[in-house]
Amino acid sequence: MSASPNLSHPQRTASPPRLHRLRRELFASPLDGLITIALVASLAAAATGFLHWATTQARWAVIQANSNLFAIGRYPIEQQWRLWLLVTLLAAATGLSWGLLRAWPRADRRGSAWPPNDTIAAALLTAISFYVPLALHAQAGIQMRWWAITALLLLVRAAAGRWGPLVPRQLRPLLALLWPVLYLIGMVLISGGLGLMPVPPAEWGGLLLTLVEASFAILLCFPLGVLLALGRRSALPLLRWGSVVYIEFIRGAPLITLLFLGQNILGFLLPGGLAPDRVWRAAWVLTFFAAAYVAEAVRSGLAALPPGQLEAARSLGLNLPQSLMHVVLPQALRVALPATVGQFITLLQDTTLLSLIGLLDLLGVARTVMANPAFLGRNAEVYLVLAILFWCCCAALGLGSRALEHRLNPNTVALNTSAHKA
Amino acid sequence: MTTPLMIEARGVEKWYPNGFQALRGADLSVHQGEVVVIMGPSGSGKSTFIRTFNGLEDFQKGSIVVDGITLSDDVRQIDAIRREVGMVFQQFNLFPHLTVLENVALAPVLVRRRPKAEVQQQALELLDRVGIQHQAHKYPGQLSGGQQQRVAIARSLCMEPRIMLFDEPTSALDPEMVQEVLAVMQELARDGMTMVVVSHEVRFARQVASRVALMADGQVVEVAPPEQFFTAPGHERSRQFLSQIG
Ligand SMILES: Nc1ncnc2c1ncn2[C@@H]1O[C@H](COP(=O)(O)OP(=O)(O)OP(=O)(O)O)[C@@H](O)[C@H]1O
Ligand SMILES: [Mg+2]
Repeated sequence: MSASPNLSHPQRTASPPRLHRLRRELFASPLDGLITIALVASLAAAATGFLHWATTQARWAVIQANSNLFAIGRYPIEQQWRLWLLVTLLAAATGLSWGLLRAWPRADRRGSAWPPNDTIAAALLTAISFYVPLALHAQAGIQMRWWAITALLLLVRAAAGRWGPLVPRQLRPLLALLWPVLYLIGMVLISGGLGLMPVPPAEWGGLLLTLVEASFAILLCFPLGVLLALGRRSALPLLRWGSVVYIEFIRGAPLITLLFLGQNILGFLLPGGLAPDRVWRAAWVLTFFAAAYVAEAVRSGLAALPPGQLEAARSLGLNLPQSLMHVVLPQALRVALPATVGQFITLLQDTTLLSLIGLLDLLGVARTVMANPAFLGRNAEVYLVLAILFWCCCAALGLGSRALEHRLNPNTVALNTSAHKA
Repeated sequence: MTTPLMIEARGVEKWYPNGFQALRGADLSVHQGEVVVIMGPSGSGKSTFIRTFNGLEDFQKGSIVVDGITLSDDVRQIDAIRREVGMVFQQFNLFPHLTVLENVALAPVLVRRRPKAEVQQQALELLDRVGIQHQAHKYPGQLSGGQQQRVAIARSLCMEPRIMLFDEPTSALDPEMVQEVLAVMQELARDGMTMVVVSHEVRFARQVASRVALMADGQVVEVAPPEQFFTAPGHERSRQFLSQIG
C-alpha cells in the first residue's frame, strides 16, 4: 500500500534565526530599507502623539465616573448581585471549556489545540483584569470581585486541564450543553422571573444590552439561516421561492429601515409575548436580518459540496434529514464557518444602530454621557473606549472561531476525495 | 435460469430536465447471484440506467422491479430499496469528515438501528476483508484511491445488501490500483453477491461476469455470456464497440 506521507505530514523546514530573518525581510534592498525606516518613524510619531494625548490632555474621569452606566445602564442597584453571579458563572464556564477543549485531544490528530500555546492568552487576560479595575478607580470591593472572578476562571481552566483527561469519552459531548443551559440561566438572572424580581428590558443598558441583543440574534439567526439556505435548495417550489424572496428582500434593505419598520409592525407580526417591547422587537429584527446573511454563507458551503456526497448518503439508505444531519451539514457548515462568524462580528457592530431607535446600548449610553454638560468635549475618550470594547468582543469571537475551525478540521487533505495522486 | 429475478427493468425511458432523452426503452433482467457487466460507449446512458435501479435517477416510462419491490415515486419504497441495494461510485464518495470506521458504521447504526459496538465490530471485520487493516481511524483523504474505493465497498457491504451496483469503480484509479479493487469485487462475486457493474475492464468481464450487456443510445442492444460477447458479438454496435476498445 502506498500511504501518502507527503500529504499528511508536511515537512517543516527549520527557520533561520529570528534576527537574521528580520534583516532579510525588512532590509532586502535599499528601497525596502527606506520604506521600513519611514514606516517605523511614522508609527513611532503616531504612538508618541497618542500617548501624549492619553496621558496629558485626555480626561478619563468621563469613563471612570460612568463605568457602571457603560457596563449595565440603569439596571437597579439592589438587583446587581444577579449580574455578578452571572459573570461568575460565565467565567467558570469559560475556564471549564477552555481547559477541557485543550485537554481532550481528538484521537486522530497530533497537536489538536489551537493556538499551540495559550499561556500568552492567559497572561494577557490576567494583566487586563488586574489593570482595568485599577484604571477605572473602581471601589476596592469591586476591584476585589473582578480579581476573584479572574482567578476563578484561571483556576477552573487549570483544574479542567489537569483532570479533564479523566472524563470518560461518552460524557464529553455534554460540554456542548453547558452553554445553552447557561444562556437560559443568564436570561432568567437578567430579566427576572422564577422568584426573582422582574427587571424590565427598558432598564437594561450599555454593554449588557449590547451583549443581550447580539447573543440573542447570533444564537437564533444561525439555525434560521441554515433552514433558509436549505429552503433555497429545496425541491418544493413554494419553499424555494419563499426563501429566495426573503433572503433577497432582507439583503436589499438597510438595517436601520428594518429596525424602524420592526418597531412598528413586529408587535402585530409575532405571536403575543414574543416581541412585547422595543428591546425585544429590535432583537428579532437583528435576528431576521442576520439570518439572511448567514443563509448566504451556508449556501456557499452547500455549493462547495460535491453532489456525490448526498447521493452516497441516500444510496446507503439514509433518509433526507439523516443525510443532511450527518453528511451534508457537517461539511457545509465547516466551509461556511469563517464567513458565518464574520456575519456574527458584523452583527455585533450593527447593534450600535439600536441607539438610533432610542435604545441605551453602548453607543446610546455613550451619547447620553457625552450630552451631559459635565463631560462636554470628552467625545474622543468615550469613542476610544467604545472602539476598544467592541474590538475586544470581536477579537474574542474571532479567536473562538479560529479554535473551533481548527478543532473541526480533521486534516487539510481530508476534504479532497478525488483519486490520490502521489 | 432457476434463481429468482433480482432486477427486472422493462422499457425504461428517461428524459433529463433539459429535455434530453438519455434512456430509450432500456431492458435488463438480473437473477440472484449473477454478475452483469454493462459496457458501451461514453454517453450511451450506462450511468443513468444503473442509477435508476436505486432511485438516484427517476424515469418517465417503463417499469423497474428490484428485489420484488416496484420502483415508484413513493419515498418509502425507494428508501426500502436503497436499504437492500449497495452502490459504489467512480469517485468513491467517502465522507471526508468521518474516519474510515465511521464511514463504514454510519448507515447500519442510523438506518438499521443496530447497536454501535456491534456494527463497529462488523465494520472492522469487513475492512479486514477488503484489505484495509490498521487504517480504521484514518480519514479518507489519507488513503490512496484504491484504498478509498475498497473502503467504499466495505461501507456498502456493512448494510448487508442483496444487490451491489458499481458505476465504473476503477475508472478514477491509477493503473496500479485497479487490480486491488477488482480482486475484492471478484471475491464478492464468488461469495454469490448479485452485482451489476458498469466497467470497461475486459479481463474482469471475461473472468467474473455471468453475462455482458452492451448499451448504445439509451438502449441495451445485446446481452450475452462473456465468451460469446467477446468472440462472436451478435449486434453490429457490439462489434463496433469491441473494435474501438481493442
Ligand atoms: N444531469 C443531466 N442533464 C442532462 N443530460 C445529462 C445529465 N446527465 C447525463 N446526461 C446526458 O445523458 C447521456 C447519458 O449519460 P450517462 O452519464 O448515463 O452516460 P454513460 O454511458 O455513463 O457515459 P460515461 O461512459 O461517459 O460515463 C449523456 O449524453 C449525457 O450527456
Ligand atoms: Mg457513466
